[in-house]
Amino acid sequence: MTPDETKTMTTALPRAAILAWPAIASRLLRSTAMRTVGAVLLALLLTALLIAIAGKSPIAAYGAMLRGAFGSLDRIAFGLNKSTPYILAGLGVAICFRAKVINIGAEGQIALGGVGATTVALAGLALPSALVVPFALAAGALFGAVWAGVAAFVRLRSGVHEVLCTLLLNFVGVLIVSEVLHGRLGEEGAGFPQSPLLARSLWLPKAWPGTDLHLGIVLAVVATVLVHLLFWRTTFGMRLRIMGASQAAAAYVGISQARATMAVMLLAGALAGLAGGIEVLGVHYRLIEGFSTGFGFNAVAVALIASLNPIAVLPAGLFLGFLEAGALAMQREVGIPSSLVFVIQGLTMLLVLCALGLRGQPGKV
Amino acid sequence: MDPTAVLDLFAATIRIATPLLLAALGGLLSERSGTFAVGVEGMMLAGAFGGALAMLGGAGVLLGFVAAGCAGALVGVVVAVATARFRADQMVTGLAANVLVLGLTSFLLRGLFGGRAPVIRFSPPAAWPVPLLSDLPFLGPVLFRQAPVVYLAFLAVLPLGWFLARTRAGLVLRAVGENPEAAFAAGSDPIRLRMIAVIAGAALAGTGGAVVALQEVGTFTDGMTNGRGFIALAAILVGRWTPIGAMGGCLLFGFVSALELRAQGWGLPVSSYVLQMAPYLIALALLAGVGRAARLPAAIGVPFTRH
Repeated sequence: MTPDETKTMTTALPRAAILAWPAIASRLLRSTAMRTVGAVLLALLLTALLIAIAGKSPIAAYGAMLRGAFGSLDRIAFGLNKSTPYILAGLGVAICFRAKVINIGAEGQIALGGVGATTVALAGLALPSALVVPFALAAGALFGAVWAGVAAFVRLRSGVHEVLCTLLLNFVGVLIVSEVLHGRLGEEGAGFPQSPLLARSLWLPKAWPGTDLHLGIVLAVVATVLVHLLFWRTTFGMRLRIMGASQAAAAYVGISQARATMAVMLLAGALAGLAGGIEVLGVHYRLIEGFSTGFGFNAVAVALIASLNPIAVLPAGLFLGFLEAGALAMQREVGIPSSLVFVIQGLTMLLVLCALGLRGQPGKV
Repeated sequence: MDPTAVLDLFAATIRIATPLLLAALGGLLSERSGTFAVGVEGMMLAGAFGGALAMLGGAGVLLGFVAAGCAGALVGVVVAVATARFRADQMVTGLAANVLVLGLTSFLLRGLFGGRAPVIRFSPPAAWPVPLLSDLPFLGPVLFRQAPVVYLAFLAVLPLGWFLARTRAGLVLRAVGENPEAAFAAGSDPIRLRMIAVIAGAALAGTGGAVVALQEVGTFTDGMTNGRGFIALAAILVGRWTPIGAMGGCLLFGFVSALELRAQGWGLPVSSYVLQMAPYLIALALLAGVGRAARLPAAIGVPFTRH
């Protein structure tokens, strides 16, 4: 390279960058991430209006929310713990949706995961507790996978749409928790349907001593990386992507859609079941009736906000977890009902869905 | 088991099936036009809220039901705009609408009244026994000693069936759900028709929610429809997308819930949770049984785009 050439390059580069800037900006604005962030901001803005209508100051409310979410180490630990099940279950939903398998059964799969983990934890296994904890989590994943497998089986066997199978099995799964708590796993004499407290040695170890932060968040991060690699770097992941892009193409290249559907459902069920097990061993230290309420929907919300990209599920899950943690604090401090979280969630999802639909990718979900 | 208990069981079946039926008929309109009606739960809840607010504001029962229909329709507008205009995914839009309504009603119930939920209590409209018919043995106490809204809901089944099967407007509506491109070529506007069907169905579902609030419970509580919308959806599927079939489905689910409420008193050897699972498992089994035979409207879930 002659000195002359180097000179033209150094002057050409910034000029190119300046000329390209409008194009870059408009691409950024049109990108999925920006659209999602825009949808979230718009939802927060609309919610601020509601808060104002209710006669409270939106600034004070959101201030309380921020302090409640990030105000201290304990608060941050709380938010991270809240995010954990959303990330794990959201990962499963995201790859299912990407393969055009509309699995909305995370709620039931989480419920069954809780049952599985509790069953093993209360079985009194003659094993060191360092082994029982992973066993219990594995049982949670297994139960969740089985529950998703049932839905996939009905789907493949009799052609009932998976949305309906998973939806109906959600109700059954949640009721199974109540059933076992009023029977085999229930605590005698407790006023509330719950299992006996687990022995302290079976609690999920803390990730940050001195806070409530348990190891679940570490598992969630590891799972995100693994699912990301599986989805983008393996043959199985490519099969899922082809299936999602075009069923005809998938059939043409000889992908067994039945097998891939079953596999992705089992994987999603295992992730959701693991989330259920973590809730039991890490948060409640027992099985509680209704512990999974709303988790299934949140998993779908997280997957959508992440625009079905596994790696983006991590920030999306954190957003939702901290949003809820903050809203609880807002309710305590400013007296605004924490049900406002549902409003923000619902609005965000509707806006994200509209943005995704308009972009001409209605088939992506 | 004494005969009055049996009569009571069947009368309760009809009563419990009523809100389900209104929601199912509303959902049916939406689904036959090609839009999944997952948002029915939210539409019902909005209706219950709207009806209760109107009653709290001193409106009569009739006005309460009208307000409920309007509140339901409002949710319908949101769903219709998102799915038809913005081509958003119908399933997830429905789920999002459900959560939005759950949050909004709970928030407004407190926010509109200075932070604390007001005490809402009104006495449900009394039963109106049909003259002569209510004296019939068995059928009288079961069918003809119900509240007026019960009769209206069940009477709506036939005209709706006739509308869908026999009128031109019904035919166009179904065409939009089966093959919107063909309907478009024939001169109708699929996007507009789908929006109308979703909104009209949402109004019906809203009155269904009002039945729960105004007729069954006499108050409004957070999330009070409690999954009834999803049962109504299952009833549509079990009934294979016809009004009469949906009515059958609602009666089936109404019967199971009526049985569940009485199971403990009767000492049935089944836990109430297993009984509560029954409607969902029956729906799944029926769906798996009719499986491929149950043909969804062909273009359901597919947004229409003009080319």
